[in-house]
Amino acid sequence: MTSDALVDPVYLLELQGVRAAYDAIEVLHGVDLAIPAGAVVALLGPNGAGKTTTLNVACGLMSPSAGKVIIAGRDVTGVAPEELARRGVITIPEGRGIFPNLTVRENLQMATYSGRPLPEVEEMTYHQFPRLGERRTQLVGTMSGGEQQMLAMARGLASDPAILLLDELSMGLAPLVVEELYDIVAQIAATGVSILVVEQFARTVLGIADLAAIMVHGLIRTVGTPAEVEDELSAAYLGG
Amino acid sequence: MSMNENPERIAGFHAEIESMKIKATGGKNESKLLALGVLLGVAGLALAIYGGIMVQNDSNEYNQRAFMATGSYIGIALLIGGAALFVRYSMARYLRFWLIRLVHESHANTDRIVDAIDRAANPPQ
Repeated sequence: MTSDALVDPVYLLELQGVRAAYDAIEVLHGVDLAIPAGAVVALLGPNGAGKTTTLNVACGLMSPSAGKVIIAGRDVTGVAPEELARRGVITIPEGRGIFPNLTVRENLQMATYSGRPLPEVEEMTYHQFPRLGERRTQLVGTMSGGEQQMLAMARGLASDPAILLLDELSMGLAPLVVEELYDIVAQIAATGVSILVVEQFARTVLGIADLAAIMVHGLIRTVGTPAEVEDELSAAYLGG
Repeated sequence: MSMNENPERIAGFHAEIESMKIKATGGKNESKLLALGVLLGVAGLALAIYGGIMVQNDSNEYNQRAFMATGSYIGIALLIGGAALFVRYSMARYLRFWLIRLVHESHANTDRIVDAIDRAANPPQ
């Protein structure tokens, strides 16, 4: 499960033999994955491999039909997602999960549920994402995809994450914007946040990942450092 | 590539997770209660039918009352209770799926609107 590069790490998040299904259709067939403290782990794989379902199980949005979700050494299988979010397991979902009919400021206000006051959230956000500061009164639905993704990240960061789960950050965005967003992810990682990034477009994320896992047909096929898994990527995506 | 641990935050996170009160999972309870509803309903129906048949086949009025009480009345009560549990928990499941679908459709619509605005703002040359 672990790479040789990471000797005896402390795992913040572990999935053990996780199976998950949508009604009768099982999509995860026994997933084992571990996120060491402070590491960036990229979960890669072709469309339909079960990456988003894995993320949904990890953050509590979906209960596994078998297996365990262990966070900080404790079995939290089936715990409500809001309980985990309150303690620092933050998800930035595919599709961003922001409110398009509200302004940037109003969206940030939604992040104050965790107890941090709005001025503090705003200060932090506009410092890290100056472009959002310029657009604080703009309706989010009228902003570019990259700016919306920045807002989704800012809202997640306002909750002081210990584990950040990112789903398809690059979806629908231009390569330059994706590069900019992954620079920000690298900055977040540098503060010690453990990050699990789900990506279909592997090359974009391998540059900042400590570990990468390739998922195919609901199973983790390989785990290793980016250099170790790179050779397997093409085979996984082409069904080899 | 090296990991950037933040020992204070990690220790705090461990403490918070440790302090969580973890109950039995709602989803599992729900499935159990749904199954219990079905079981109670079936048992109640069987008991009511048994009571009814025994009342028909026994001419002694005292025995008939006893069968009515222990068979039909209890059976009907179980049937009603089981049906209530079944409706409650099957509806909860249905409404949850319905809500997820609404959220998904709302996201899809938002993406379409944003895409349309983008295309209107930057028409192809």
